Amino acid sequence: MNVLTHIAQFFSPLGHYISYILAYLFETIFFIAFVMVVLVMMIYLFRKYMARLQLRIGPNRVGKFGLLQLIADSLKLVGKESILPRKRDDFPYKVAPVVVFLGLVLALALLPYGDFFYIGSLTITHSGVSVILLFAAIAIMPVGELLAGVSSSNKYAVMGALRGVAKDVSFEIPMMISVLALVMMASGRTSSPLNLESLVSTQYIPYGIPEVIGLFVFFIAMIARASYSPFDMGESDSELVSGHSTEYTGMRFGLFYMGMFGSIFLGSMMVSLLYLGGYNGPFSSDAGFVYLLIKTMILVVISFTIWLSLPRIRIDKFVNMGWKYLLPISVINLIIAGFLTLGVGLL
Amino acid sequence: MIGVKEVEEPKKQIPLVGTLKAMMVVGKHLFQKPVTVQYPEVRPEIPDRFKFRISLSLDDCVGCTLCEQVCPNLSIHMNKVERENQRNKRKIYPDVNFGTCTVCRNCEEICPTDAIYLTHEFETARTRNSFTYSPEELSMPEEEVIK
Repeated sequence: MNVLTHIAQFFSPLGHYISYILAYLFETIFFIAFVMVVLVMMIYLFRKYMARLQLRIGPNRVGKFGLLQLIADSLKLVGKESILPRKRDDFPYKVAPVVVFLGLVLALALLPYGDFFYIGSLTITHSGVSVILLFAAIAIMPVGELLAGVSSSNKYAVMGALRGVAKDVSFEIPMMISVLALVMMASGRTSSPLNLESLVSTQYIPYGIPEVIGLFVFFIAMIARASYSPFDMGESDSELVSGHSTEYTGMRFGLFYMGMFGSIFLGSMMVSLLYLGGYNGPFSSDAGFVYLLIKTMILVVISFTIWLSLPRIRIDKFVNMGWKYLLPISVINLIIAGFLTLGVGLL
Repeated sequence: MIGVKEVEEPKKQIPLVGTLKAMMVVGKHLFQKPVTVQYPEVRPEIPDRFKFRISLSLDDCVGCTLCEQVCPNLSIHMNKVERENQRNKRKIYPDVNFGTCTVCRNCEEICPTDAIYLTHEFETARTRNSFTYSPEELSMPEEEVIK
């Protein structure tokens, strides 16, 4: 039983086809609502956490503990005037924030979420190759950033977009190689290692323990993917005004902002799924989702601490690090994974 | 002979150790108390030597105009107030413009009879356009002044 069948059962008096159409519709609505709640929660958590680290209090005026502050802020963003640059390339300029947000939503839709009490499985997509799909969906987001940078015809935006591309190129290959190591390890135990659900369910021992190097590389890659400090070269706000989102105002900027926080959540969730055992644990057929959420939130807090404590590194240093350190390390990790799969066989 | 001292190169640190140290230092702040004071609800503790609002005791003022003369930015002017005071025959008393007052305390120091003095009150925000306190307003406590 999963969400879809539950909703279809609810609508079953309307007939088979109509009930399933309605079920798909409502599942989509629920999922979008989930994404929005996650984003609002992430931004609220970040603001509170940053305030506490800086010995401030943070938002506490709108609603109890400032919980409604984010809703007020997003209403303000929607109500703002949208100022468009005159020499823009109109279609890519308008489509870029949507592309970023779409990549995020797509990637979140592909993740397995585990089980939650009587609702059953919360996973939406059941695909045999969901790992490949997931990384394809993640690769959509930088396209949006590049479009935004190039189409707004602003030198800072172009510089930000180019830096973002250089950053993406230098970390994505180590990331994919460390995921390849995971698929290799999983292929020893399951016949469909490219399916995220079976990849997660084979983690009797979380893959992060035999593959510490892979976990390290992948986590760095996820930090760079979400592009926050120390790897926020794409929108280095003290050099380039705001990078690729310089010329954006109102809710279009809000979409970029939410995409960034969403990709922090997405990255933490992916690390916890792939390396930390995901929703496995005692009573995981009931509370699997809770385990996943706890692991994700711990990683999110670690990410925020990294964000708030480290200075930005220079772009050439990051490219150097990607090609000269992360790539060899991830290849070594791949070799270790091969030894573990073939030599030990049990792990 | 001039001795030349070789500058030692700093030791190369193990990578990531500095990063982790920085994260530890930042993370420790999570357990400290916030320094923010929620002002209208929570009053900050005012230090003993903090002075702001100028008060005037009308009975002691002799109308010598020393405070007007010593005020560096001309915030004090003398005003005529109809009031019986044997020691103040000219019936002139100072008023203070808090819009320009820099709280230098010269008036308090120069006053021969200690009629003009500074108090701990600091909430002199007004809804009217003028920031000038008339002599009568200066002699009242802050809560009674119509703002």
